[in-house]
Amino acid sequence: MSRPGDIQTPPAVELHDLTVAYHKKPVLWDIDLAIPEGEMVGIIGPNGAGKSTLIKAVLGLVPAATGWVRVFGESYASRRREVGYVPQRESVDWDFPVSALDVVLMGTYGRLGWCRRPGAAERKQALGALERVGMQDFARRQISQLSGGQQQRVFLARALAQNARLYLMDEPFAGVDAATETAIVNVLRDLKQQGRTLLVVHHDLQTVEGYFDRVVLVNLRLVAAGPTREVFTRDNLLATYGGRLTILDQAAETVRRFEDWLPQTGAEPPHSAARAAAPQRLLSPPGAPPPAQPQHGAAPQAARRPPGENHALP
Amino acid sequence: MPFLEYNTAIVLGGTTLLGFASGVIGVLGLLRRRALLGDALAHATLPGICLAFLLFGRQFGALLFGALVTGIAGVALVALLSRYTRIKEDANIGIVLSVFFGGGLALSTYIQKNSVDAAQAGINGFILGRTAGMVQADLIFICTAAVAVCFVVLLFYKEFKLLCFDPDFAAVEGWPVVRLDFLLMLLLAVTVVIGLPAVGIVLMVAMLIVPPAAARFWVAGLAPMMWLAGAFGALTGAAGSLTSTYAADLPAGPVIVLCGSALFLISLLFAPRRGILARARDRRRWRKRRAIRGFLRILYEASEAALPERAALPIADLLGRFPGRAREAEALVAHAARAGWLERAESEERAALRRSAPRAAAAAEGDDAVRLTAAGLQKAAEAARIHRLWQHYLRTSAHIDRDIVDPDAEEIESILPRAVLAQLEEDLKNAGTLPGGGAPVRALAGLPRELAT
Ligand SMILES: Nc1ncnc2c1ncn2[C@@H]1O[C@H](COP(=O)(O)OP(=O)(O)OP(=O)(O)O)[C@@H](O)[C@H]1O
Ligand SMILES: [Mg+2]
Repeated sequence: MSRPGDIQTPPAVELHDLTVAYHKKPVLWDIDLAIPEGEMVGIIGPNGAGKSTLIKAVLGLVPAATGWVRVFGESYASRRREVGYVPQRESVDWDFPVSALDVVLMGTYGRLGWCRRPGAAERKQALGALERVGMQDFARRQISQLSGGQQQRVFLARALAQNARLYLMDEPFAGVDAATETAIVNVLRDLKQQGRTLLVVHHDLQTVEGYFDRVVLVNLRLVAAGPTREVFTRDNLLATYGGRLTILDQAAETVRRFEDWLPQTGAEPPHSAARAAAPQRLLSPPGAPPPAQPQHGAAPQAARRPPGENHALP
Repeated sequence: MPFLEYNTAIVLGGTTLLGFASGVIGVLGLLRRRALLGDALAHATLPGICLAFLLFGRQFGALLFGALVTGIAGVALVALLSRYTRIKEDANIGIVLSVFFGGGLALSTYIQKNSVDAAQAGINGFILGRTAGMVQADLIFICTAAVAVCFVVLLFYKEFKLLCFDPDFAAVEGWPVVRLDFLLMLLLAVTVVIGLPAVGIVLMVAMLIVPPAAARFWVAGLAPMMWLAGAFGALTGAAGSLTSTYAADLPAGPVIVLCGSALFLISLLFAPRRGILARARDRRRWRKRRAIRGFLRILYEASEAALPERAALPIADLLGRFPGRAREAEALVAHAARAGWLERAESEERAALRRSAPRAAAAAEGDDAVRLTAAGLQKAAEAARIHRLWQHYLRTSAHIDRDIVDPDAEEIESILPRAVLAQLEEDLKNAGTLPGGGAPVRALAGLPRELAT
């Protein structure tokens, strides 16, 4: 991904020879990577591959054993005002006594500095961020009373309130329904349109091609990184998910499906169509029975009965 | 003798302020999951108190300073053990707590045996708390420290809020998380230490936990929770120290903590929304409302075929829809009758019987059927309408926003956007299944089971 010789614009993120270890066990190994500015990049890999660790290493949350990280050509510490972060949703306690607006306001704390409280300007900005993710009606709601997808959108709104140039997002689509996913993707595309760089950990192989300009395939080591069309191939997926046969076959199947589909349609991904047609979620455990219908938007069983059926007159 | 002696008054002031401070800082401790660490801290103060006594004699400031030093040392030890061994934090807390407290008890026994001053030192007073022996200077010291703690919390409110909610995000934003954590720990330590003379080592942690836990039942936001926890703490401290002053034999600590526990119990039971009673009542009401609405729908659907005539509905048929729940069904019929939604009627069989054999019909007891009244029909049609609109919404539009679906909402109008609602109604109208609305509704029979979507 690096563009040697391009000195004027340093890459948004540059990792050199990066190794990260927990208790001496390396979980990321010799990563060399450069992410150019203004792109939407997916980080793909199986569970435990080190995707979250990669993001945390960029943010300085976990120390690098060797190697270094540069953000816009400098150390992270000197550029942190330009970086926004969406952590994995499970990383906080959603019973915490704050409202959605309070959480979004936290995105403005960095700019405020010590001891200053958010004022009218910050509130306006936070409400604007909530509106962009379609959550303005929930501003006063306690976060414990939000659904998973709404919590995810609150986190996204907090990152928007940070108003960053580079966004690092850890599984922003985890556990959200199709409608929320679409809403989030639209916000991400907006950000990209404005020239921001997005580095997004993503789990659903079926949507990778539709969402990302570039992908980074990791599993302990960097398997491949580059434009999605070049890098998101069967061989690379096999190398990333290596050894897990069922997943391999499904991964191959996905790639084939997308290869079939690519020439026929335009840039817009057949996101929901591909989802509905898929016999099984890619990363569902081997042998799991295929869901009877698309999981997203599935209504409670009772609601699908026609009215009057169970109360029919004798 | 005046009601409050001067000394009692200042003790009261001291414990009130102390209670307020421990309630406020306790909220942060609780949210940062430091409650048990507070307990370790309190217990780890005892060796410090004893050592300070051995070194400096009975000097209030020196004793508290000694307490602070070993208290913080204990917490630091827990942190080190958790970091550099594989032992989990709760076990480390137990280890540190018992080792420090055991050492402290040994030291205090030694002092008791070897020091003439021991009784005056009142080291035992630190274990269970004693308000009687305090003098003005001590209390001024306690008050100053309590006010200082509250001031620091006020100053760094925003930073602490972020630290407690999402420390990773705080670190990413450049806040010195480790130092903030240390400051929070220091505030907890200071509060614990100034609480020791009155509340005692053994129960001090209750002052940090009970008021915030009680406050959580009443309010939802962080700032309100802190104010209320502070108020609860103040009340606890005041009530406890007054009680222990007038019942001189009781140690202050247990009395104060018992007052706090009473507050907690009241909150647990009677808090308006989160309390146990309120929740049970809400659940009961919700179930009842739900059952009534479901029954209204059944009545509507049973009457629907004959509309606009209000058909007679045999009671046996109605009860038959609640297999095994006859009493519930009878209660529902009775409720609907009381509300004026149902009137007595005669089933067709009975009417036929009356025409053919009037005497036999008269012999059968009572009425065997009911009929919706005009008001009842309106109610029932509304219940059916809302139900069908939600069903239709779920079938056609739930992928747009499933979170808003609330089949028990009395008013669908206040939840769904007007355009969506209009579309749903239009669909139902076209299918002939939109209840009410003035226009006669076509009978359900003969229509395709699935609504047009
Ligand atoms: N705090 C930690 N201490 C020790 N090991 C850790 C820690 N965090 C992660 N690991 C290990 O590091 C490896 C990579 O973890 P990481 O969270 O980066 O994976 P991931 O790719 O984000 O996985 P997932 O898809 O499940 O989120 C895993 O094997 C995990 O067990
Ligand atoms: Mg992860």
